[in-house]
Amino acid sequence: MRPLDLKLLRDLRTMKGQMLAISLVMACGLTMMIMARGLIVSLETERDRYYAENRFADVFSDLVRAPNSLRSRLMEISGAGTVETRVTGHAILDIPGMDDIAEAILVSIPDERPQQLNILHILQGRLPEHAGRNEIVISKAFADAHGFRPGDTIQATMYGNREELYISGTAMSPEFVYELPPGAFVPDNKRYGVFWMNERELANAFNMDGAFNNVVMTLAPGGNVEAVKAEMDRILRPYGGQISYDRSEQASAQWVETEIEGLRAFALAFPIIFLSVAAFMTSAALTRLVRLQREQIAQLKAFGYSSTAIGIHYFKFTLAAVIAATVMGGVGGLWAGRGIVILYEPFFQFPSLTFRPDYPAVLIGLVASAGAAFLGVLNSVRQAVKLPPAEAMRPEPPAEFKPSRIEALGLQNLVSPAFRMALRNLERKPWQGLFTALGLAMATAIPIVPGAMRDGMNYMMDFQWRLAQRQDVTLGLIEPGSYASFTAMRNLPGVLHAEPFRAVSARIGHGHHERRISLSGLPQDGQLNRLLDADANQIPLPLSGVLLSEKLAEVLDVKPGGTVRLEVQEGRRPVFDIVVAGTITDFADIGAYMDIDALRRLMREGDTVSGAHLTLDSAQWAPFLASAREAPQIGAIVRTRAARESFDETMAELIVIAHTIYFGFAAVLAFGVIYNGARIALSERTRDLATLRVLGYTQREVAGVLIGELALLTLLAILPGLFIGTQLAAAILEAASTETTRFPLVLTGRTYATAVLIVLASSILSFAIVSRRIHKLDLIGVLKARE
Amino acid sequence: MPDTKDSTNGLENRDPLFHARGLTKVYHPSGEIEVRALDGVDLDLFESELVVLLGASGSGKSTLLNILGGLDIPTDGTLDYRGESLTDADERTLTLFRRDTVGFVFQFYNLIPSLTARENVALITDIARNPMAPEEALALVGLEDRLDHFPAQLSGGEQQRVAIARAIAKRPDVLLCDEPTGALDVKTGITVLEAIARVNEDLGTLAMIITHNAAIADMAGRVIHLSAGHITEIHTNTERRPASTLVW
Repeated sequence: MRPLDLKLLRDLRTMKGQMLAISLVMACGLTMMIMARGLIVSLETERDRYYAENRFADVFSDLVRAPNSLRSRLMEISGAGTVETRVTGHAILDIPGMDDIAEAILVSIPDERPQQLNILHILQGRLPEHAGRNEIVISKAFADAHGFRPGDTIQATMYGNREELYISGTAMSPEFVYELPPGAFVPDNKRYGVFWMNERELANAFNMDGAFNNVVMTLAPGGNVEAVKAEMDRILRPYGGQISYDRSEQASAQWVETEIEGLRAFALAFPIIFLSVAAFMTSAALTRLVRLQREQIAQLKAFGYSSTAIGIHYFKFTLAAVIAATVMGGVGGLWAGRGIVILYEPFFQFPSLTFRPDYPAVLIGLVASAGAAFLGVLNSVRQAVKLPPAEAMRPEPPAEFKPSRIEALGLQNLVSPAFRMALRNLERKPWQGLFTALGLAMATAIPIVPGAMRDGMNYMMDFQWRLAQRQDVTLGLIEPGSYASFTAMRNLPGVLHAEPFRAVSARIGHGHHERRISLSGLPQDGQLNRLLDADANQIPLPLSGVLLSEKLAEVLDVKPGGTVRLEVQEGRRPVFDIVVAGTITDFADIGAYMDIDALRRLMREGDTVSGAHLTLDSAQWAPFLASAREAPQIGAIVRTRAARESFDETMAELIVIAHTIYFGFAAVLAFGVIYNGARIALSERTRDLATLRVLGYTQREVAGVLIGELALLTLLAILPGLFIGTQLAAAILEAASTETTRFPLVLTGRTYATAVLIVLASSILSFAIVSRRIHKLDLIGVLKARE
Repeated sequence: MPDTKDSTNGLENRDPLFHARGLTKVYHPSGEIEVRALDGVDLDLFESELVVLLGASGSGKSTLLNILGGLDIPTDGTLDYRGESLTDADERTLTLFRRDTVGFVFQFYNLIPSLTARENVALITDIARNPMAPEEALALVGLEDRLDHFPAQLSGGEQQRVAIARAIAKRPDVLLCDEPTGALDVKTGITVLEAIARVNEDLGTLAMIITHNAAIADMAGRVIHLSAGHITEIHTNTERRPASTLVW
């Protein structure tokens, strides 16, 4: 081995703690990059393959009812590719041993020909065959949650009729990759499933013979999605057509995209933070090393080593850190990526999602981190090799100091000499201080993200399903009913209090903005389904006019006092302009609300109800559920707390994992930055510190002087760190929010305190490790040598 | 100049501050090799006296000063300060001993570059039990006009006088000076020695100067000659010369 490389190895050994700290921070950045980029590629590859092979549709529409003959007109739309008309419906399930409500959405598949769009990926069994036997294929996630296998049967109430459904197979569909119950934002595979059934049988069960209520289609090559949607809307409008939508609004596809978008942001932001901090750490450590070895460099040059050879020698230190980081980051990233793909399983139903490392991106990350680190040391190496050997053999001239600017304010008498040393050192090297503080600020910011996510979700849950919706259960009727049906619901066993509601599907428009929504009519003195403002105060229902979800008002670009056009898609299908009386705060879905009687007048109907909100005597739950399932009019039973429970069941583990990852990385960052800074400070001030020990300062007091500067930076970093963390959390929650699910930014003292504690604890640990070196200070040696 | 060999000049009737018997320090710089830096030194040092410790490089004088100053412990022998043993003292006791009792002046000053003259002295007055004001200490060494200068703005002699002010500001019982003029020219060296002598007289501090410069011995009350870890000679100056008259 060449002598310079031997020197490299021995120097690396003496600086191993510092090199490890740098490599760890770098490795965190690479881990996240390799993990997130790999997940993006994995999801995108599998999504593209799955969507293409199973012919996932491009345009979707729901309607009330249209005759099958209309299909040929839809096929003639210019730009349309394959068109499939379908029947969809909703079933209440009675699963033995399950003391809760389970529901399924039913989707038809063609009877006598293979599926052309959204083709099922059969995992077990086969497609339905025997006519008249109510054969179904059920979604894999639902089957797994209950242990159902082909051959099993399920009791279901469909359109008021109790039927026994026979499971012929289990499957996945590109349409339901993210199998989301309406209004929820996490899958709930125990309480919600997707069933596929032959079209004729399903139509028969839902009184849709010869008709359809759902259309999916692909675009022909070159087809214009907006034009196709507009034409489809025009054709379907007379049949109660909702606004058609493309993949960007299709619930499952949208959640897959949101996840990918989130990963994209993550794959960019976090590696940038960690790799730039690591580059700064390398720069600071190497600058100090070069300064310490100034005389060695001079000797090497005197012996005839070229500047290039010496420059390369110091770059190899950086290379060593990059190599170590690559190994750790590579192993960590692949391990984390594989682990997270497994965590995706309950959320994303893909046939074969496996982790695929994104090698080009890994290479880019590596080159970027190596490049940044090299740039960081370039300057100090250049300065070191630039000096003529004779000059470099003399020690560097003593450092010049001046009173710090803070002292110019006249505060000098308030602070100890040790504190003044810290201030003046900082002012002498402002960039080093700034970057250290920035690294610590980032470490403070990172733990705020998972805290804000947890608190935002909790707040949303609490607001939506405790403060706003105070009912225990919401019952929905198959068809709108009279006051008698409300009385029947109120008289079910265990009902303590009941409030009726009228809900109709409608298009709402303002200017050129249009959305499909549910327009709800609520009673004036309602106490169950409450409309709240941002502070959770109930907003009184106006006698005329409509209240809109804040988000709906925002996307329609309408303010209170403005007028919106409502086109009801049911009954007489009234179309009317109505004044926006105000907005309400909600976080899930978008809706419009008005006085129930005002809505009934517009619909020209009497005491019609769509369903009821109920509070229950919990002791009476079982008889209530049994009776509600038996009631032929009832098409939907929604338990309010189910959303919360499924969230807790599904997300609890994920939140713990997210916290662990964020906290761990923040701790590594804070620890690394402080450790590196403290080692550099110790090296720079060995002489001062040893002198203080000689003069009678205790080890603890000397440690205080060493730590003073870094402690000051840590404290200075905390407030900006909390600010950056808040912005980071806001951006991430914004990215995770969709039009129908909005995560509020909720920041609690607990989140902030946790972030501060993590940074302080890592810093203190780091200080403690470095302070141990004060015991080893050579008190006598330092007095003998001139610096 | 009349000498009295191996005499304590009547001091033997008083209790010594330092009482060393058989003081030995052995280093093992590597494996087999053994270096006896001090080899059975017997020595008493008394309050208020000014002692010069003379010896060539490697004679053991710095080792002796380090042990007296609580920076090091002997391998063998005993050392008492005011009757208290320093021989087996732990790290904490030695730190407190240095903090409360000893003032150090070093060849290379060892000032903190980021602190002004006043602040370098305040570093000590902050932790001492009965300190004088930093300004007072600096006035004693004639630096009352240089209070707010940083070390880099002071000459070598001035820096060394700051170091003396720092050493005396705590009113130490012992002032240990290791080659205090080693890095200075004659004229500057004399001002530094004058400052040490003044402190010895005004404050009654036991001052010990170690040097290889024999000329400095004339200002001492007693001169101790050290060679190869042994005290070869102790003599008492019947007449002490003022520092200002020294020449080398």
